[in-house]
Amino acid sequence: MFNQLIHNIAIWLDDTRWSTMLHESYYMYNWVESTHVLTLMVSLGMLFLIDLRMLGLALPDVPASTIARRLNLPMLVGFTVMVVTGLLLFYAVPVRSSQSIWMRIKLVLMLGLLINAVLFHRRMSEAGSGWDAQPRAPRNLRLGAMFSLAGWSVVVTCGRFIAYDWFDCQYMDPGLMSSLAGCIEGQTRF
Amino acid sequence: MPASLLGPYSRTILAAAVLLITLGFALSGARGEVHNGLLPFFEWLETTWFGVAGKTWGAVFATVQSVHLLGLALLGGAVLAAEGRLLNVILTDTPRELVCSRCNRVFDIAMITLVATGVFMACGVAVKIYYLPVYWYKMLGLAAGALFHYFVRNPVLAQDLENVNPWLLKAMAVASIMVWFTVAATGRWIGFSG
Repeated sequence: MFNQLIHNIAIWLDDTRWSTMLHESYYMYNWVESTHVLTLMVSLGMLFLIDLRMLGLALPDVPASTIARRLNLPMLVGFTVMVVTGLLLFYAVPVRSSQSIWMRIKLVLMLGLLINAVLFHRRMSEAGSGWDAQPRAPRNLRLGAMFSLAGWSVVVTCGRFIAYDWFDCQYMDPGLMSSLAGCIEGQTRF
Repeated sequence: MPASLLGPYSRTILAAAVLLITLGFALSGARGEVHNGLLPFFEWLETTWFGVAGKTWGAVFATVQSVHLLGLALLGGAVLAAEGRLLNVILTDTPRELVCSRCNRVFDIAMITLVATGVFMACGVAVKIYYLPVYWYKMLGLAAGALFHYFVRNPVLAQDLENVNPWLLKAMAVASIMVWFTVAATGRWIGFSG
């Protein structure tokens, strides 16, 4: 039911003129994809610095709250560009993207990481500034930073794996994996 | 001593000399000869353990690609934080020297990760990339970036920054951001070529 609904929306998107134009345009598609990948340097670059600071592995003698506060804005700008280009990439190839197991893992993880980020900021304001000059943040903030680092690393890996056709619907027999990927029995468009 | 003959800017002068020699090499006929001579080396790369592993196990190759991207993210973070500080746009309430020196450590780790994973990836598709002009542009950009970072930027930042012209620092920061984003972009373009 859920998979059928997603598939119907993907087919509808795929039939739009702009979707075809985007994925048929060699330069436009590659520019969007390159921007999506290169924005890693801004968004994840800033995020990794914040997380590594919390763990005491980077910039340990710079106050942690300064790092988190000052690098937040460029990180969010990077994430915004990343989300926009990510949506465009999905729109360019909607059927295959919506039926990618890697895309689904990536989206679930990103939801978890979003919740983690909200909790992290709440814990940070609750923790006060007594630990600010310490090389390592309090334990609950370190756990949040570790989850963030590991989670985003898996997100990047899943994003890379989307490009490979190991679990594409046309190569899978019906079963658990096929259903998790969102494959529809008898579908003719991939 | 040769270093004293060149004065306090010995490494900068040497880097500029290397750049000029590289340009001369690129514009001369020697480039074609050297390129042809490198083919056996690239063919050999594909027969190494890395090359065989990269070609045989797609999942291993893809995982190494992911680590390469994570290294790229870390490098981007280190470059943007340090250069952003030199441009007075981020971390403005923290001393420039402190931000730059701490980011340099992160930069070094990112660079080691990128080179190690990059060599593995290159071995798996060595002959393909040998024929791609964009691969050579990336290598040229990488060499220029590394030379600039270690032999121009770092020596300048090692001085008392109060005595350095602020416009020089800003120009250096912009150059650094541009060179590393160019290297990353040409790397991405390798995937679209061939």
